[in-house]
Amino acid sequence: MSRFQTPLLLIFGMVVLGGLASLIGSEQLNFTLTEMLIRMVVVIGIYLFVGNSGVMSFGHIGFMSIGAYATAWMTLPPEWKQVMLTGLPVVFQDNTYPFPVAVLASGLAAAGVALFLGIAIMRLSGLAASIATFAFLAIVFSVYSNWESVTGGTSSVIGIPTVVGPWIAVGFVCGAIVAAHAFQVSRVGLMLRASRDDEVAAQSSAVEIVRMRLLAFVASAFLVGVGGALYAHFLGVLTTDAFYLALSFVTLSMLVVGGLQSLTGAVVGTLAVTLIVEVLRGLERGLDLGASHIALPRGSQEIGLGLALALVLIFRPSGLSGGKEAAWPRKRG
Amino acid sequence: MALLTVENLHVSYGGVTAVRGLSLSVNEGEVVSILGPNGAGKSSTLAVIAGGVAPRAGRVTYAGQDITGGRAEEIARSGISLVPEGRHVFATLTVEENLAVGTYMHKGKADIAGVLERFPRLKERRDFPAGRLSGGEQQMLVIARAMLAKPKLMLVDEPSLGLAPLIIDQVYDILLDLRRQGMSLLIVEQSTSRILKHADRIYVLRGGAVQLEDTAANLRDGEAIKRAYFGFDEGAA
Repeated sequence: MSRFQTPLLLIFGMVVLGGLASLIGSEQLNFTLTEMLIRMVVVIGIYLFVGNSGVMSFGHIGFMSIGAYATAWMTLPPEWKQVMLTGLPVVFQDNTYPFPVAVLASGLAAAGVALFLGIAIMRLSGLAASIATFAFLAIVFSVYSNWESVTGGTSSVIGIPTVVGPWIAVGFVCGAIVAAHAFQVSRVGLMLRASRDDEVAAQSSAVEIVRMRLLAFVASAFLVGVGGALYAHFLGVLTTDAFYLALSFVTLSMLVVGGLQSLTGAVVGTLAVTLIVEVLRGLERGLDLGASHIALPRGSQEIGLGLALALVLIFRPSGLSGGKEAAWPRKRG
Repeated sequence: MALLTVENLHVSYGGVTAVRGLSLSVNEGEVVSILGPNGAGKSSTLAVIAGGVAPRAGRVTYAGQDITGGRAEEIARSGISLVPEGRHVFATLTVEENLAVGTYMHKGKADIAGVLERFPRLKERRDFPAGRLSGGEQQMLVIARAMLAKPKLMLVDEPSLGLAPLIIDQVYDILLDLRRQGMSLLIVEQSTSRILKHADRIYVLRGGAVQLEDTAANLRDGEAIKRAYFGFDEGAA
């Protein structure tokens, strides 16, 4: 029982959140909530690798891009694809696949790329691997921005069925929580966390660190790829620059603010950063106080987020969660 | 029969030579110690045996197999367990999780409960993060974890470093216990008194080479060790 309290508590929290939003019933709120939940799937995915292995990744948004475009290829109407995405393989051009199949396949596509990439870069030392993931992000971005016949290049892909609302997103977040928790308490997860704490000691217990990292990298890319697909089915429109530096910064901030080393941190950090960003976005739009209109200058969002990140790193380096998992208060005595 | 032999080992890091032409051996069931001052090449020698550091020249043979320059996890799997210097616990994991990592190559079947019986202090603190244990407890934990790998040869790097004398005695009690169970031990130390009592054979290293090699019984008065350790000439000092 106590073993499962963290995922149960987190899932309970998400369901309550979804319920509250349904009660309020505001369209704007539902939109914000859904977007946040999709990002939470992505952040949990990044956490699965970064949190357990201790190796930072700057490239996971590349997997999100891969997932988002993969689902677009599978679900766009054939007439549109045949005209706009002439370079797509015929299987994709002539067919459409249902949402669940497309989302799953998108996750698998990202996982496949991660396997290929991971075999090459998981052998590198921590910092070198992090830089290599960043290079990967840049490569995905420039390939997708320029491969017009397959991705539409810098023009948008439109017409992806928008089937993802708050409850579907809650469902996927719950799935991601269960998956990430199962991974972290598994044997592979334990060995990986051991190697994060002390590589030399893990190796002298015969732990194959490279293999453990690779497994986590692939599983993590799967979740992030699924997150990308959800994002496509939420907005209905894709552009390549949606999956680049800005989103990388936001998602990594979420992870750092919440605390890199716990699943609870990934969830809490996504909530906290979304709250900060939304409040600042509101203030940028401005408040009417009596006769005067007060508004923060544009760009306050990014500055506010940067400040929040700096404050957390200075005063609470292990994040809001302190690296701990959500738990019922322990009985004393 | 020699379980481990190191022949003519040369190790250098960048341009700095740490070990020059070192040879040693450990027989089955034997406790062998490497003594020497800082920078004598003791830890470098252990690092080469345990894998992860490739020597410039020389050969390491374990149980008849050439393991020179092998990967650390493969060498661990073959039955050599390293207890690195400086109490390498997995700080964020609990005591019990630390021990579970030790059972990795036996797919978790090694006897954690049995090991905890021998370390009552660890048993009490099994749910504590290892990073919050005292220095002595951490050293015990690292040894306990290495035991769970069921090695034939344990490499122990400065087990007494920074510990109170009472705790050092406890650490040595456990090491001797392991020896009684047939494990071979190669212990690196800087302090000579305890090692003279407990080891079968001793190598004294200085400047990356063996200065003196003999049985502990022959070295018991400590004079020869002192000369080798500090490099005094015969007659001087």
